[in-house]
Amino acid sequence: MAADDDDDDLIELDDDQIEEVSPLPQVAQSEADLLMMARALVAGPDSNDDIWSLLCASRQLPAKIGTTCEQLLGETLAQSWRALWQRGGTKPRVSHTGQRGRLWDRYQPVDLKFSAQSLQFLRWLVNTPFSAPASTLKGIGAAKLELGDQLLVYFALDASRATPALRVIAQQPFVHSAPLAWLGFAPYMMGGKIPAFDSLTTGAGPILVEALSEELARRWQAGEVAKRQMTDPAELVAMGAAQDAVLEGFFDACDKRGRRDLASFVIDAVYPLLERNIIPVPGQLDPTAPLSVRAGARASAGALLRALVRWSEWDQQHRGVRFIDDNYQAAQVMLGRFEKIGSAGVAKVQGWLFDLTSLTPTLPDEPVNPG
Amino acid sequence: MSRAIQIRVSESVVRTVHVEDGVQSPLEMLPILAPDRMGELLAKELEEQGFTRDGDKAIREDADGVTIEVDLKTATVTARIAAKKTLEESIDRRASVGVERQEQAEKNLRDDVVRELDDRVAAKTEALRKEVTGKLEKKLGDLKKELDGAVGRATVEALTERARSLGNVQSVVEDDAGNVTIKVKL
Repeated sequence: MAADDDDDDLIELDDDQIEEVSPLPQVAQSEADLLMMARALVAGPDSNDDIWSLLCASRQLPAKIGTTCEQLLGETLAQSWRALWQRGGTKPRVSHTGQRGRLWDRYQPVDLKFSAQSLQFLRWLVNTPFSAPASTLKGIGAAKLELGDQLLVYFALDASRATPALRVIAQQPFVHSAPLAWLGFAPYMMGGKIPAFDSLTTGAGPILVEALSEELARRWQAGEVAKRQMTDPAELVAMGAAQDAVLEGFFDACDKRGRRDLASFVIDAVYPLLERNIIPVPGQLDPTAPLSVRAGARASAGALLRALVRWSEWDQQHRGVRFIDDNYQAAQVMLGRFEKIGSAGVAKVQGWLFDLTSLTPTLPDEPVNPG
Repeated sequence: MSRAIQIRVSESVVRTVHVEDGVQSPLEMLPILAPDRMGELLAKELEEQGFTRDGDKAIREDADGVTIEVDLKTATVTARIAAKKTLEESIDRRASVGVERQEQAEKNLRDDVVRELDDRVAAKTEALRKEVTGKLEKKLGDLKKELDGAVGRATVEALTERARSLGNVQSVVEDDAGNVTIKVKL
């Protein structure tokens, strides 16, 4: 009876009343996994996917992807700009030339290039079961990366930051080829060869760094606080060496291109430490280690502070720029950024650095919440 | 049926080991006068503390084996300690094996004994290293106080010298807290 009633309710539609719906794009299951991984990485904090589940699953992928998958992957990666806006690009700031506005107001549109290496990296992520012991996993070799590829690597490291996969991904030679990855995740990438940072100071590079500036500052600040809990001197020495090399390389690249403003994240990372008087000194290094190793570890802990001292040297140079000089506007912007540190902050940082290398260094009194 | 025999391996080792540890730290010298002059003033203070001048360095070897070296040019101090010891270890081990396995068993037993000897020597070397590290660590507090005192006195001397270059020094007064007041008549 019910079926008859339903039939009575049906209304016949004319052809012109029927809207044609384009069929959903069809891809192979392996391609769907690839796309899901790409979407999860690009969406970052907004992703609804459980990244750890995606990383634990493993699927063999065919040698090639279809044209539909290629198109969808292109559309996914094109969302990277949007992801950057959400990560900090929408905040109005003053550019190094004094122009005020959001990131897209301050820069001309420019291409963000992805190469086939992005696909290789995604394939490796989908193919690798990260829950297996790290020694059994197949790695991914070094490659020449475009800026888009570097951004995808950064997104992958960020997405996996709360999972055991972070260290595995960060140890790959492929990831070591990405200067942006070093800038964001140096403490996890110890031991690799650090590339030049020129790609981050030209073309679309400065846009990426500016969009991620707040994130970088938070990450570096958290790294400094974490040093207080470290006990292995060798680990601290390796971490400090990597951080020193990254900051020195990046500062040199910024200096060369007249884009010192890109290194402002160092100021933003140190400022909260100064405000709360948090010296990045390790609390209790392994007392059985040789004194020379422990002293080396304490000195290594000051990598970010040394970068701030270099910023203070720049600050002195900016003070000497006259209004008739070409770079007066940029110098004024930089002076404004360093103002919150000031000479008192620099003196405090120098005192901390002196204490880190003292014969009898100060020990931190209590653990600090990074927040 | 195989016949059981007893094999015996005896190995000994005599090894002279050398361990050292050290730490380097900057001295807080204020740039009141030219670096060379500041170095001279510090050297003078250090010589009164038993240091011997050797070019740009002031060196002292203490009775406990700690060597303190102050680089007057870069104003850094290096404290190091070294120790040398002759370690003697021997192991005598027996095992019962079938006669047909004698050669292989003897080789295995000897390898084990040699490995254990190496481990014992390494453990004793590490213990010696910890001992010298502990000695040095205990000394650092007093050394810092001593060097801070020398640097402080050199700084006062530098300030006085600087004041003399400005005018006629009337008085130099130091209070209990270490603050120095220099009165200069210009």
